Amino acid sequence: MNRKVASLFERVGARAYFLRDIGRGIKDPKTYGVETVRQMRNIGVDSLPLAMIVAAFIGAVTAFQTRYQLFGGVQLSVVGLISRQSIILELGPLLTGLVLTGRVGARITAELGTMRVTEQIDALETLAYDPVAYLIVPRLIAALIMVPVLTIFANAVGVGTAFLTAVVATDVSAAAFSEGLRLAFTPFQIVYSIIKATIFGGAIAFFCSYEGFTTTAGAEGVGRSTAQAVVITSVAILVLNALTALLLAPYLQA
Amino acid sequence: MKKRDDVLVGIVMAMALIIAIVGSLWLARGGLSKGYALYAKFPWSAGLKQGQPVLLGGVNVGYVDEVQLRQDGTVLTTFRVGKSHKVPLGTVATVIPNGIFGDMAIALTPAGPNSRSIPANDTVPVGESPPGIAQITSKADSIATSVNALTTAFKDELVDDGGVADLRRTLATSNQLMANMNRLASQFSVIAAEQNRQLTATQASFRRATSGIDSAKIDSTLQNMRQASANLAVLSADFRQTSARLDSIVSKMNDGTGTVGMALNDPGAYNDLRGVIQRMDSLLADVKRDPRRYINLRVF
Repeated sequence: MNRKVASLFERVGARAYFLRDIGRGIKDPKTYGVETVRQMRNIGVDSLPLAMIVAAFIGAVTAFQTRYQLFGGVQLSVVGLISRQSIILELGPLLTGLVLTGRVGARITAELGTMRVTEQIDALETLAYDPVAYLIVPRLIAALIMVPVLTIFANAVGVGTAFLTAVVATDVSAAAFSEGLRLAFTPFQIVYSIIKATIFGGAIAFFCSYEGFTTTAGAEGVGRSTAQAVVITSVAILVLNALTALLLAPYLQA
Repeated sequence: MKKRDDVLVGIVMAMALIIAIVGSLWLARGGLSKGYALYAKFPWSAGLKQGQPVLLGGVNVGYVDEVQLRQDGTVLTTFRVGKSHKVPLGTVATVIPNGIFGDMAIALTPAGPNSRSIPANDTVPVGESPPGIAQITSKADSIATSVNALTTAFKDELVDDGGVADLRRTLATSNQLMANMNRLASQFSVIAAEQNRQLTATQASFRRATSGIDSAKIDSTLQNMRQASANLAVLSADFRQTSARLDSIVSKMNDGTGTVGMALNDPGAYNDLRGVIQRMDSLLADVKRDPRRYINLRVF
């Protein structure tokens, strides 16, 4: 039992050291500046179609389900309200984060893991490059910036498809849906969504980079690290989502 | 390749920024235009929040922009109305429930058509708001309390004090009474049937009696009655003539015309008669006093 607890703290400590190394690496923009833009393209621009497709279907299903869960007598503008709140506050950032965990996080882990097992990272150290500054910091910055960007697109597409689905496939009128969309809206709801997405982006980059950076045992180790990174990051995103809601939800009320 | 990455990332980020800003503005204001501000002071219990709709004659024309709590028991509400909508003078603002989830909206109710409108940044007078969910719930609660008191009183009266037993006894007595009444009704129906039978027999007898009457005799009787009636009419006319004549005589007597009238109305005749009577009296007195003066009876 004590060994398990000690192992847990050891893992936490190792990640804390890794975070410290990232902090050190951020002080050297010349090393990661160029690479950051490339990672923004990989993490953000290339993931845009996937994030939008997921958001489109989620928005459509949310509006459709909301409409048919309402009991008689409830005004139909509620469909707009619930769809907006569900997509902007929860589904947009959360599903974008989880989808990017699979697409971007796994890629980061696999890339870094392969570099580790093929001793490319060791070569960088030999060339007096800080591998954290060169490999991890650009990915972290790119994720911190681009996941919120993707979430904004996802929110817009999700709300748009929710509107279209509600108006075309159900008896909700465009005016009623728009009225619900605007009801009790505060700009902080968008900020809340962006805050969540930023946290999720940081979690994806951090946990996946760490797992890739610390990969051992060859190709098998790369596969294991990748799987472990996806699991850890997914759980971390869900936990962070709950914590963010606990901390910030009271400020959401209009 | 590097430059292309920069452009792509820049485009995506710029688009995200535009979507976030424009989307927020559209959701918060109902459009990109902010509209003009109007103010209203509602009581604390109004339940208004930022973003709630503003309805003019039932049409959504704006949104609640800001709600400021004041220490005088009111909330100063800033709401924005689209520039294309004018709020007529005489309009009152009320807070109305919007749906069944306790959400509220500001309803602007114009007194009537008015070419003049409330200018921007002016305060709209507040009208009497309909009762909200909380007030209805409170009222329902007080009704429930009353019903509870009523049911408790019923329980005390009917259960604890034996009211139910009394009620059962009353019902049993009522049942007995109803049974007696049923019996009485059946007896009445027997009597009525008997009366009906006898009445039928009487009608039959009457019908027989009427069929036995000689119609010729009835005709004759009726003819005699008609004759008698005609005679009576003639008699009546004679009486009327006689009465008219009598009226004429009496009027003549009253007028003093004719012999009788003059005799009745002339005071001279009366005085003459009095004089005659007096002289007759004095004559009689004189006769009594000295009869021999007038009666000279000689036998021999």
